[in-house]
Amino acid sequence: MTILLRRVRPEQVRELTLVFILIAVVAFFATQIPNYIAWQTFTDISTGVEIIAVVAVGQTLVVLTRNIDLSIGSVVGLVAYFVGTLLASAPGLPAPAALAIAIAMGGALGAVNGVIVANGRVPAVVATLGTLAIYRVALVELSGAKTVTTDSLPSWLLNLPRMSVVSLGQLDVRPLVLLALVVVIVFQLVLSYLPYGRRLFAIGSNPDAARVAGLPIQRDVFVAFVLSGALAGLAGFLFLVRFGNITVVAGQGLELQVVAAVVVGGVNIFGGSGSIVGALVGATLINVLQQSLIRWPAVSAFAQDAILGLLILLAVASDKVILGRLRTIWVQARRRDEERAAATAAEQATRGA
Amino acid sequence: MADEAEGRRSETDAPPPILEIRGVSKRFGSTQALDDVSLALQAGEIHALLGENGAGKSTLIKIMTGVVQPDGGELIVDGRPVRVGSALEAQALGIAAVYQEPMIFPDLSVAENIFISHRDRGRIVDRGAMRRDAKAVLDRLGVRLDVGEPARGLTVAAQQTVEIAKALSLRVRILIMDEPTASLSAHEVRRLFGIVKALRGEGVAILFISHRMEDVFQIADRVTVLRDGRWISTRPRGEVTPASAIRDMVGRTMGEFFRRTPTRLGETVLEVRGLAREGAFAGVAFTVRAGEVLGLAGLVGARRTDVGLALFGIAPADAGEVLVDGRPVTIRSPQDALRVGIAYTTEDRRQLGLIFPLSIAANITLPTLRRYLSRFGLVRRAAEDAVAQGFKERLSIRALSVETAAGTLSGGNQQKVVLSKWLNTRPRVFILDEPTRGLDVGAKAEVHQIIDELAHDGIAIILISSELPEVLAMSDRILVMREGRQMAVFDNAEATQERVLAAAMGQSAAPAGAIV
Repeated sequence: MTILLRRVRPEQVRELTLVFILIAVVAFFATQIPNYIAWQTFTDISTGVEIIAVVAVGQTLVVLTRNIDLSIGSVVGLVAYFVGTLLASAPGLPAPAALAIAIAMGGALGAVNGVIVANGRVPAVVATLGTLAIYRVALVELSGAKTVTTDSLPSWLLNLPRMSVVSLGQLDVRPLVLLALVVVIVFQLVLSYLPYGRRLFAIGSNPDAARVAGLPIQRDVFVAFVLSGALAGLAGFLFLVRFGNITVVAGQGLELQVVAAVVVGGVNIFGGSGSIVGALVGATLINVLQQSLIRWPAVSAFAQDAILGLLILLAVASDKVILGRLRTIWVQARRRDEERAAATAAEQATRGA
Repeated sequence: MADEAEGRRSETDAPPPILEIRGVSKRFGSTQALDDVSLALQAGEIHALLGENGAGKSTLIKIMTGVVQPDGGELIVDGRPVRVGSALEAQALGIAAVYQEPMIFPDLSVAENIFISHRDRGRIVDRGAMRRDAKAVLDRLGVRLDVGEPARGLTVAAQQTVEIAKALSLRVRILIMDEPTASLSAHEVRRLFGIVKALRGEGVAILFISHRMEDVFQIADRVTVLRDGRWISTRPRGEVTPASAIRDMVGRTMGEFFRRTPTRLGETVLEVRGLAREGAFAGVAFTVRAGEVLGLAGLVGARRTDVGLALFGIAPADAGEVLVDGRPVTIRSPQDALRVGIAYTTEDRRQLGLIFPLSIAANITLPTLRRYLSRFGLVRRAAEDAVAQGFKERLSIRALSVETAAGTLSGGNQQKVVLSKWLNTRPRVFILDEPTRGLDVGAKAEVHQIIDELAHDGIAIILISSELPEVLAMSDRILVMREGRQMAVFDNAEATQERVLAAAMGQSAAPAGAIV
């Protein structure tokens, strides 16, 4: 165990631990629910997770900078409704254009958050709680409490979810899942290889040091909110495609699931550490739990939210306690190694003399 | 030998300085932090900057690094006047600073910390190249660190090295080091000095700020002293002695100082034996009698506030004994402290002293609110107001009424509200941490008057103050601390600014007579 710890940093173990937990959860439900291990289950999970995953990517960017974006649920709903009505009135609109409009609209809504937080210096919780309400009211006003219905939408949109890009045996990979996967990979690369990604970690890790280092904090935080909005816009499009029927409550409560996914996925809620892949695993874990609990007769439907809440608390607690403990062990092991190396070097030197 | 040659060079055929500060002034509210200060840094010199607390060293650093803009004067780099408007502009000019508490990113790796501010490393981070370059920079400093390790796990010394490496990789030409040795062991200090000397060899100008005389005399080529925001002297090291440096640093004028009225001292109220807290202070021992003012003097980092916090139970001591009226007491929390009659006013009035939106009365009764509850657990506002009114008259708090929000008062009157709050707990021992910080002359005098009256009432007072003249004027005895150690205790009669400062700087051997 210590040999392993010496080679692998605690931060790197984190995502791996989550994957193990995920496997354990699946194994557990396999013993509880008949016919659980079936291709259909995995197809359900992968399609269920796509919306949360895309929004969680944006949320991760924001949380890394020690901020939070609570408005995303309303952005998803508003964009889904707007694009839905647009397609209903102009069925000839090509798919890429509809997608671009969704992303642009989300980005604009995110820019409002960005200006308030980065330039107005309003705490992100307050600012995005405000826009959460405002965007939702905007949706209610815009819709006049009417619903976008499936039959008003063009047929390509309705067929999209049932299309299959790749079929591995009986596992169907849907185009939307593929899109979400691309988003995850692209943004993981952004965090790992672009100076911008590096700066997001820096800003959340130590804002004072970031200021002293001359980093463009305002601009970077603003861009993070724009990206979060744009990805929520994309998720709004996915929402429309998946459900077809868009009511005024579309996307409501999504922020809880997304923040849960991000935090469970190992992104530090106080910024500075975490990864997109972690957030994806977190989102998957939550989705697996949700879908499995429905089929598990042992718990009531009400207990599901409680389990979700418990999971968030566990994630935050483990982040503080377990990771802190791992770090201490790791640092101590390193120190011992260094001392031993220094002692051997000294011994050799004396022997040589 | 080499040092001597350098000293002579800067005297005779001095090349143009790499950085020149010309007549810089800065005012914060009623405080003149810097007043017409001039200073020149040569390439390849280690220039020590000395000064008491509040001499203006920090403000000077902030101006050089673009954090603060001067009201007057100019900075000249390579003979051209420059405007340092931001950290980024300072960076572009080759100015960097390393602080006592390093400004690192704990979650980022060593290599990432070194290169976070770089703009010229392409659009995509090349991790391999970054690790290689980080290793190269650290090699130049003769340091071996795992460049992939998160900075969180490094020692303070290693974190400082990372900061120096970062500065070096940004082609630093002027390196400011603010108390870099304060949290290092002797061995680490030696290594740091090796690095600093190597940088000097490469032509970097180093502004070295330290309270440790031995550091300054070991490493500096020239020594500049600031006092009260003014330039006092700049001399080659050979012409400076610890005594002459201290003489330049003291002698602050604070106008006519309050004169204590003679007080008859009572019994010993508080006795402290061998008080210690891991990583903060150790071996603190003193007594305070009723009606006595014990001053706690020391420079920044002397850990005087930590002693106050320990006695009040905010950061409890982990060793030593505290006796109140001769009986041992255990203080693990402010509640414990208040129970045995110890009260403490914080140096950070704004953050911890007052709740600004609440009324004067509500602030005063906050720690003692239980006394003002009716049978049904409701606050009896009338009783509360009556008590507050009493204090308002006794300490002459100038406000429309006791219902005025505390945040709207002037600094001096806010401090009186804080004092009232704790006096209302009827303390036997009152610890005052920087009670006059940030107050104007009139308000200071009033607070001094109040301290004198409290002593008359038989309260044992511990006065923590960074202003030497204040400590000397107000205290019956003065305890001097340095880096968590108790250096000396002087009676008022034998205490002079020189003796106290010498003790605070670790020059306790210097005889008082020799300096004056």
